[in-house]
Amino acid sequence: MSMVSRLKHRGLAALATAFPALGERFAAGYRAERQDEGIPWAPLAKPLGASTIALVTTAGIHHRDQTPYDMHDHDGDPSFRELDLARPLDSLMITHDYYDHTDADSDLNVVLPVERLRELATAGEIAGLARLAYGFMGHITGRHLETLKRTTAPEVAARLKKARVDAALLAPG
Amino acid sequence: MGLVQREIERLGIPTIGVSIVRSYSEQVRPPRTVFLRWPYGHPFGEPGNAAQQRAVVRAALKALAEIAEPGTIVDLPYRWRRETYSE
Repeated sequence: MSMVSRLKHRGLAALATAFPALGERFAAGYRAERQDEGIPWAPLAKPLGASTIALVTTAGIHHRDQTPYDMHDHDGDPSFRELDLARPLDSLMITHDYYDHTDADSDLNVVLPVERLRELATAGEIAGLARLAYGFMGHITGRHLETLKRTTAPEVAARLKKARVDAALLAPG
Repeated sequence: MGLVQREIERLGIPTIGVSIVRSYSEQVRPPRTVFLRWPYGHPFGEPGNAAQQRAVVRAALKALAEIAEPGTIVDLPYRWRRETYSE
């Protein structure tokens, strides 16, 4: 993708951020794939106060020493990054041209509420925040949708299962 | 996001997603969603506003515990920059 189109994406992203009503119109340019099969369902097994919560983000977050998401592929980047929350929060950064992350750059909790969940754990409202979180970039289309659904998302699910988290909180960019 | 959420739930882990584009959630049909009509890049609110961020996290966890019907989207009452959040 050319630098001009990357700049165009960033310009549109800044507009949609400034005017939430534009968001739905901007979103109309991205077609979410209708899922017609049944909705998966797993009941919460324990009260929240006994549950360890994992964070999963599609805001384009990765550690500074990890490979950034590929912003040059029109279909997006279906890969994921394992985020170690035991490391300082400022070891994390955002690579994403499709939304304006200026605010999230100044306070990551806006997209990844690590500190808020830690406070709730201290207060006993949840048992804890899982050490490992998972990052995707979102805005996946075309040929990468199948990779996401068949390979990378199930791999993250398997890792969360292995870590025995009780629930996952997901948020976009 | 919803596609990832569905795969996590499929493996037996309950999930809650925060959505800022309701039409996506309606199409992708994740198991549980809380929706905010807020701008991109701010699913938990504004930088430095811990009370606001905490309110959204708490509302999401409450929905995680209370939603009983697969595919439910809870519309949260918070308006963008027009609420006061208590600690």
